[in-house]
Amino acid sequence: MSIFLAQLLTGLAYGMLYFMIAVGLTIILGVMNVVNLAHGTLFMLGAYIAFTFINDEVNFWAALLLAVLLTAVLGLVLEKLLIKRIYGKELEQVLLTFGLSFIIADAIEWIWGTEMHTLPVPGLLSGSLSIGSTAFPLYRLFVVFIGCLLALLLWYLETKTRVGAIIRAGVDDRAMVSALGINVGLVFTGVFAFGAALAGLSGVLGGPLIGMYTGMDSEILVTSLIVVVIGGLGSWKGSFIGAIAIGVIETLGKVWFPSLSMLTVFLIMMIVLIIRPQGLFGREVA
Amino acid sequence: MKKKKGFLKRAAGMMMLAAMLMAAGCAQSSSTSSGSGSDKGEGSSSSVKIGFILSQTGTFAPLSEGILNGFQLYLDQHNGTLGGKKVEIKVEDDEANPQVALRKYRQLVHAQKVDLLVGPISSAVAYALRDEVEKDKKVLIDANAAGDDLSWGKKSDYVYRVSFSNWQNGSNAAKYLAEQVGKKAVILAPDYPAGKEVLRAFKAAFEAAGGKVVKEIYPKLNTNDFAPYLQEAAAEKPDLIYAFFAGSDGIRFVTQYKEFGLKGKIPLAGSLEFGDELITQPTGEAAEGIIAGINYSPYLDNELNKQFVEAYKAKYGKLPNVFSVEGYDAAAMLDKAITEAGSLRSENLIKVLKGISFDSPRGPIMIDPATNNPIQNFYISKNTLKDGAIVPEVIETVEKVTMPETSPFE
Repeated sequence: MSIFLAQLLTGLAYGMLYFMIAVGLTIILGVMNVVNLAHGTLFMLGAYIAFTFINDEVNFWAALLLAVLLTAVLGLVLEKLLIKRIYGKELEQVLLTFGLSFIIADAIEWIWGTEMHTLPVPGLLSGSLSIGSTAFPLYRLFVVFIGCLLALLLWYLETKTRVGAIIRAGVDDRAMVSALGINVGLVFTGVFAFGAALAGLSGVLGGPLIGMYTGMDSEILVTSLIVVVIGGLGSWKGSFIGAIAIGVIETLGKVWFPSLSMLTVFLIMMIVLIIRPQGLFGREVA
Repeated sequence: MKKKKGFLKRAAGMMMLAAMLMAAGCAQSSSTSSGSGSDKGEGSSSSVKIGFILSQTGTFAPLSEGILNGFQLYLDQHNGTLGGKKVEIKVEDDEANPQVALRKYRQLVHAQKVDLLVGPISSAVAYALRDEVEKDKKVLIDANAAGDDLSWGKKSDYVYRVSFSNWQNGSNAAKYLAEQVGKKAVILAPDYPAGKEVLRAFKAAFEAAGGKVVKEIYPKLNTNDFAPYLQEAAAEKPDLIYAFFAGSDGIRFVTQYKEFGLKGKIPLAGSLEFGDELITQPTGEAAEGIIAGINYSPYLDNELNKQFVEAYKAKYGKLPNVFSVEGYDAAAMLDKAITEAGSLRSENLIKVLKGISFDSPRGPIMIDPATNNPIQNFYISKNTLKDGAIVPEVIETVEKVTMPETSPFE
């Protein structure tokens, strides 16, 4: 029983990580109609930036903050310089963000080399909690906590704040919102930077769990795309539920049907797409 | 709402496009031209052109870098020559994909006219190249790919392995572990050919020495979360856990082993990867106490290794790993072979490559003519923490680990 509980918790923690990885992508997609294919690379960059600071004896939390800030700034610059020129042009967006992902990934390889790295678990959270006969690392509980906090924050921002109202309005009718004297361009810049910051944040928090290596950017991107598709395009709530479902089902699947573990995620995606082609929380597509 | 629907459709289309772009990046179709006729290397040329087929993108990148660094270091120490001939190097990236590798191979052999080849990282690539070099009569020095069958059913007169085989890697520590650590083991490896080959070798040797494997677990390659497998393994209450995980999988396995409280509770043992710098450097303290059967470490106590490590550190600013020494040894072996053959002709080279022996920072090496695989020492070692770095302390040397001539698994 305690093993089952531990496995459930493991799945939950892993699902939360999935959520944090995908949420930046889904927000940018939902608000700005942009599929940011550089998302996985921004994730990777966040982890590497934190790695550099931690190696310079900066404490984990300060490194986390700096990495989030720097990826946000990079997101801001990218939006101002490049992305904003091609709103509404899907093909250009795909090519641009895909190209950016290559450039940033190559820059990472150039600066940090091809060796694999991992981030240390912050001292405060390095212990583990014993559940019956098995142990559960505190750091993963912390990941669950941060994931919930993030979902709460998003819910609050979306429904209770003026910015949230502007964003919701901007999604439905951009021209009308502009006509009301609101600077939609500024809002979009902010959203892109926020999405980039979330990628950086998940990169740092995922660092102690996943590590860093060349080629991880595309793995992370594929993972995020799957979560986004299952959850429904652009719906962060869908990503939240979808990510947790994937985490738990994948983890239990590894135990019960080990030989299928390569397929579970894709099986879940297939089943969701057959039953609800628009994804769990997606709006109906005719 | 009409506009919205259109958008969602387009967004779905964009995702399809993205997926297609990703797929295009990973799987390029092979070229259809297949050159016929073999180019005989010029026997008396004063230079030698060597083609490298390595995996420079993705998770294998650091392995390829190690091999090239080691090879280059040997050249630097020998005025850029092997067997008295000036060396020219051509490096191609196979993206760990046999189809891409074949295309790159044809470029190297037919357009660039390389005299011989060094490569690949992946065994799948090695099997694909093996048939081509056989046809073109080109010598391939296998600097990493560990697939057992390259020495058994798919052995070729033109392919000589300088690294090690999965059989050697899995079997060498089994007897020690069964006699000194415990009889009841749970074993884990990624679900792909190398994983299966290392574990079958371990299991056979471990059970021959009186041990019992109570559970075999095969997570998929590139598993981010080993937690459920660790919980499952621990539930068996084994005397030890033996595992083979390379690269980022290995780093995650070792860190998570500690995270989930198994470190210090159930002894962890593993193949040579768990004692190699590439994993122990990033995991640091989490790798302490692991018993690994290694064939190289920068701390091995021999004169050649001391010189090698010093020169490597001076040139690259870091310690060499097992892959660096593979590259270094590939160069050393070619140096001796070209000198002895006095020519670059494949027929002459393969005569001397069979049974060739040389000194390596690993210890003495001899290519076994029965398997074209190196007979070499393995070192049962325990990772210990010294001044913040993991040092594999050698407990016992297993001398001259030799592959059986034919597969014991058929």
